[in-house]
Amino acid sequence: MRSIGFSTGALAYADFRKALQILSGTGIEALELSALREAELAPLLAALDILDLSQFKYISMHAPSLFSRESEGHIVESLLPIAQRNWPIVVHPDAIFDPNPWRALGAALCVENMDKRKPIGRSAEELTHVFDLLPDASFCFDIGHARQFDSTMTEAYLLLTSFRSRLRQVHVSEVNASSKHDVLSYTSIQAFREVAHLISAEIPLILETPTGPESLRAEMERVQEALPISAAA
Amino acid sequence: MEPLTPQHPESALLALEQQLGAEWHHLTEARKRSISKRAALKEALADKDDEDTSIVVFGSLARDEFTDGSDLDWTLLIDGHADPKHQDLVRTIREIVKLQSEKEPGREATFGSMAWSHSLVHLIGGEDDTNRNTTQRILMLLESAPIRRREAYDRVCKTILDRYILEDPRFIEGEVKCRVPRFLLNDFARYWRTMAVDFAYKRRVRAQGGAAIRNIKLRMSRKLIYVSGLLVCFACHLELTIEARRKLFDGPDSERRAIDFFQKALQRTPLEIPCETFLRFPHLLKTARRVLDSYNGFLGVLADRDSRKHLEQLLPENEEGDRIYQDLRALSHEFRDGLLDLFFNKDSNLFELTRIYGVF
Repeated sequence: MRSIGFSTGALAYADFRKALQILSGTGIEALELSALREAELAPLLAALDILDLSQFKYISMHAPSLFSRESEGHIVESLLPIAQRNWPIVVHPDAIFDPNPWRALGAALCVENMDKRKPIGRSAEELTHVFDLLPDASFCFDIGHARQFDSTMTEAYLLLTSFRSRLRQVHVSEVNASSKHDVLSYTSIQAFREVAHLISAEIPLILETPTGPESLRAEMERVQEALPISAAA
Repeated sequence: MEPLTPQHPESALLALEQQLGAEWHHLTEARKRSISKRAALKEALADKDDEDTSIVVFGSLARDEFTDGSDLDWTLLIDGHADPKHQDLVRTIREIVKLQSEKEPGREATFGSMAWSHSLVHLIGGEDDTNRNTTQRILMLLESAPIRRREAYDRVCKTILDRYILEDPRFIEGEVKCRVPRFLLNDFARYWRTMAVDFAYKRRVRAQGGAAIRNIKLRMSRKLIYVSGLLVCFACHLELTIEARRKLFDGPDSERRAIDFFQKALQRTPLEIPCETFLRFPHLLKTARRVLDSYNGFLGVLADRDSRKHLEQLLPENEEGDRIYQDLRALSHEFRDGLLDLFFNKDSNLFELTRIYGVF
């Protein structure tokens, strides 16, 4: 059975406690703790030991997507305990200044493919250069980004087949023309179905769609429709 | 005969020139000039595009055949929000390009403005597929180059190919002997015939001005575009071994692999594509010499300012006795006959492909 869950950022932006409250008792088993902004990282890390995360079988963390060169070393250092928990740490490749310190995170470092606004990491070709620098890193496939970059889903196919052995989790949302995460549309569901068979059942799906407490189940059903488990996977 | 699989990432034209001991000075000069002109435009147009817009050039500049006096055809390709400021951007680009060019874009207003991805992708065939739309779509695939950012350009090219490939189910799924995308090939053929018909139309409505140079271009550079399109449509057989073809088409997702394959195949210039074919079939090298020598000669005349001007002003009633025009006609016959040798060569699989797909 595939784990489907949510990013705390999609449920309550920086308020991870509120997001966990929303998810509490729902039976949802996958979670991504989001610290997209640098200032969100320290409070989240400080709270980890006291948060009740017992309902989740799969947990990942999203590292800040923007920080200065000066703070890079400190950020990586603060993420080392997360790697020791064996939680994937999702990183935007364009945020990295120096790949050297990030290598210490090993396979816990989970590089995400980017949307069309970003200068690197959008295509299989571009990500190959990133993985050359970070050979142990795993892969977070953002299917919304891939579709926004190439609506024919050819790039999605190339990403999934090129980095199949690295695939650790999938981000699911519609990424609209302004590069904002949105709920899945009819056309995105149809597009996602075209590559669904390339994502095996044990890969967790993390929803980044902005979702209220009342529509968690409905959104998960849409994701299941978009990415059905295939015998081929 | 099984095609060889040489790869010439740098330039098949240069590799062929070297192999034949030829000196295609005009071709290499035009190539250098094109690279240099695109670099100058790249610099001049800094920061004028973004992830949703690409400034795309067409014609001789995209084909690596830019000479003194060449047109500089461009468009602002938009694949994103409708933004009223795009009109201002077009004006700005127009001013910048004007400083880099001797001529304004053509009178049919196909270039020098905006093109939207939606009409290029959705309006293939049917009444709304205007001459302008067909021209932009086909040239986007066969004869174009983004000057700076290429994201929107690559997206649009891929999406156009998606339509041709996915809406041609026999090409992907059928138990077929030949893997030739008929939908794509038919549109290339339609465009080639459209150019030929438009030649007659322009001769009529423009009171004969410029007919001579248009005629020669139709016989040479326009024909070359069609030739390159045909060869790309045959590429699964010309450029892939049986094993590689099987790998491309067997199993799921073959349509994605096909889109990727054709997008890469179309990234070469129209001249590079037949050169690549010639290099794959060494027994055709004599034919290569004939085709490339004549094309080199054609470009030499266009590169000569006086000859070009003369041709532009030549009236049809004077064509018969005009030495420059008649020399070019003779070159165009050499070019045509060389191409006939290529496409109807029985020692390569081109004869069979041409017979089945190129006639009816």
